[in-house]
Amino acid sequence: MSKLIMRGVSKAYGATLALRRGDLTVEAGEVHVLIGSNGSGKSTLCKVLAGSVRPDGGEILIDGKPVTITGPHAAREHGIGIFYQELSLAGHRTVAENICLPDMPGGIFVDRKALETRAARYIALFDTVAGEGFSAEAVVENLRADQRQLVEIMKALATEAPITIFDEPTSALDRAQVDRFFEILRDLKAGGRSIIFISHRMDEIFAIGDRVTVIRDGETVGTENIADTNPAAVIRLMVGGQEELAAGASAPPAAATDRKAAVLKAENFSGKGFANVSFEVARGEILGFGGLHGQGQSAVLRAIFGANPAAGGTITLGGSAFAPSNPRNAIRRGLAYVSGDRSRDGVIQGRPIIENATPIHYLRQKLKLARPAALAARVKPALEALHTKFGGLSHPINSLSGGNQQKIVIARWLIDRPDVLLLDDPTKGIDLSAKADLFALIRKLAEEGMGIVLYSSEDAELLNNADRILVFNGGSVRRELTGADRTRYNLYQAAYEAA
Amino acid sequence: MTTATLSTQKPGGGLKRLVERHPFLPALLIALVLLALNGLYQPRSVSFIGITGLTKTYLALMMLAIAQTYVVYAGDIDLSVGAIVSLVNVVIVVLMEKMGGSGFSVVVALGVGLLTGLACGIVNGIVVAALRLQAIVATFATSIFFTGLALYVMPVAGTPAPAAFWRTYGGRFFEVPFVFYAVVVLAIVLYVLARTRLATQLLAVGDDAQAAFQSGLPVTKIRIQGYALCGLFAALAAFCITGDTASGDPLVGGKMTLFSVAAVVLGGSALSGGFGTVVGSIIGALIIGLINSLVFFVGTPSEWQNLVQGLAILVALMAGVLVGRRARA
Repeated sequence: MSKLIMRGVSKAYGATLALRRGDLTVEAGEVHVLIGSNGSGKSTLCKVLAGSVRPDGGEILIDGKPVTITGPHAAREHGIGIFYQELSLAGHRTVAENICLPDMPGGIFVDRKALETRAARYIALFDTVAGEGFSAEAVVENLRADQRQLVEIMKALATEAPITIFDEPTSALDRAQVDRFFEILRDLKAGGRSIIFISHRMDEIFAIGDRVTVIRDGETVGTENIADTNPAAVIRLMVGGQEELAAGASAPPAAATDRKAAVLKAENFSGKGFANVSFEVARGEILGFGGLHGQGQSAVLRAIFGANPAAGGTITLGGSAFAPSNPRNAIRRGLAYVSGDRSRDGVIQGRPIIENATPIHYLRQKLKLARPAALAARVKPALEALHTKFGGLSHPINSLSGGNQQKIVIARWLIDRPDVLLLDDPTKGIDLSAKADLFALIRKLAEEGMGIVLYSSEDAELLNNADRILVFNGGSVRRELTGADRTRYNLYQAAYEAA
Repeated sequence: MTTATLSTQKPGGGLKRLVERHPFLPALLIALVLLALNGLYQPRSVSFIGITGLTKTYLALMMLAIAQTYVVYAGDIDLSVGAIVSLVNVVIVVLMEKMGGSGFSVVVALGVGLLTGLACGIVNGIVVAALRLQAIVATFATSIFFTGLALYVMPVAGTPAPAAFWRTYGGRFFEVPFVFYAVVVLAIVLYVLARTRLATQLLAVGDDAQAAFQSGLPVTKIRIQGYALCGLFAALAAFCITGDTASGDPLVGGKMTLFSVAAVVLGGSALSGGFGTVVGSIIGALIIGLINSLVFFVGTPSEWQNLVQGLAILVALMAGVLVGRRARA
């Protein structure tokens, strides 16, 4: 009998279907790898199992018995422990307290002695590799990123759960730490425990896994024995029957762009989350940034725009040097930045559409006062070019759908044309027809001479719209895909190879 | 700045570690400076009698600051603590009067007072944690509600508390003032409370509520317990203020609410939660008390006293931030 069976698990967030049909069977005493591209639903599947997300449908069987997991606490009682990718640590508490947080020893009072003994057991596991400053009494906030990740691992191990999920547990660890962690996993496996392991590094998957389940677009597409497969076959399973070369006739051949007319140039650009990134964007070109989530794409764009600090390297804008300092300065120099996180970076909540469409116009024209009618005359054509549906310019922006809100955010940049448009995953949470409008517009803007950098976490968008694609991995550019090389297979291969 | 950065590389990082472990140390320093200034302008203020008087007057604010600390631990806030003080104050005074003011009536009234505080705290907890209303507005609303109850119990201020009660609070046993026994008992209670599972859980929730939830902690229950604890300490604050003023007043606690929040911040706790100490809040309350008496001792004209008090609290806040940053840098 299998230790765990998940069948037909589904979950929708509003209109977005995060998980269509998740199937997973895990045996006792195996390390089961879960793999899938950005947003394929593997994290959602794990969160359903860990109780932090309630599924809409499907069934879960543990030891052959159907169970309902109502919350994280219930999950623990069913013998499920989890390592959270985004960590679940209390920063001001000590390492020992964090390790024991889910189940503090003692009754009304904390049994300090039991807490320390229990924590010491898990800290000892990583004794040789934890590094300087790591101790039971150390405050988590003062630790390095890799050490914090070790604490989260220890916390997951301390649950001693028969089924333990590790959602990207190794992203910040060094080689020695990973090796030690894998030794521990092998011991657990030998003791009959079931491990669900998510990683984007092929070498790790093949080093530790027994079986691999591939999820694509919210659906489980297959399970293979690691011994009977190879990285290329796994990537092909992730790609599936989807169009190999997605770039269609809409994209001009890359050779047509004149490299001399580079409008934005970065050389050895470095900052938090990325290092030594060099690239050029020509007028009329759409440069794509691809790869897995959070490999530095967004950080590069924000640093160029001055929203996050840069550490080194040079940026050349329209032939002259540009030192990113703050967004205001960047806007004056003809840069535009549109983020997918509308509520944080774009929309002015609760304010009329016209106010949301004009802040850049005010800034660039140094307007202090303006007549609404004069502004409306400038705003309307920009909104119409985007096929924006709206009741009236004075209606609050919240009355619009996500896609239309994003169009208004984009429209604010089009009243006074920028030279370079930086798009940071601009289509997050917007519907298909709005996406189509958006990409048609982006192509039109490029043809009119704008240089465009597009980061998208949806691989299909990149393959369909970018003239060239830079694949990011671990904060640097791993590979450039041009012309016929722009295939899903190549994109995944560069994104998933060992960083 | 440069020198401060360099000093971290030197082995002399002891101060940094000390402040990190005891975040109330900057506040303690400020309190000692204020105490010295008090002594300078009015030597009698640092005498045994002077300290006794200060403790007697500000024990209520200390209790209220402690009450506030437990909700701030979890990243919440309680703007109804003052109203709870008022309500408990009038409830116990009316009860003691109705029962004849004997020793027995005092004990019963205090018991009912504690239950009243606890009930108010649980109401706050349910409104904020279970119904998920914004803490700052929800407790503001309950404060109006509690004040309304207090005005119902005692429409006008002035009912005196029985002598058995305030004589005990202001009296001495074996030559030691009662309030010092109270302080010792308080210290023991706080020492014990700091070792409870709840204290750690409150801090974990304040650090990151989502992370705490994902770790399997019953976040709603923990926050309600924090408010309940707050209600209990607000009741104790009411006992102190009743002992000090010896009468019932349905509006007595109102202006103490924001002082309690200020005391928590002065004591080095983070209003965002997850970080702080109860000891710091007590020192914070003491700082406010010392500022008030200092303003009086230096002979500020009465019409300027509020202005000077306000400025002095601002200066104390800034000094706390600066000292803390220096030591930690």
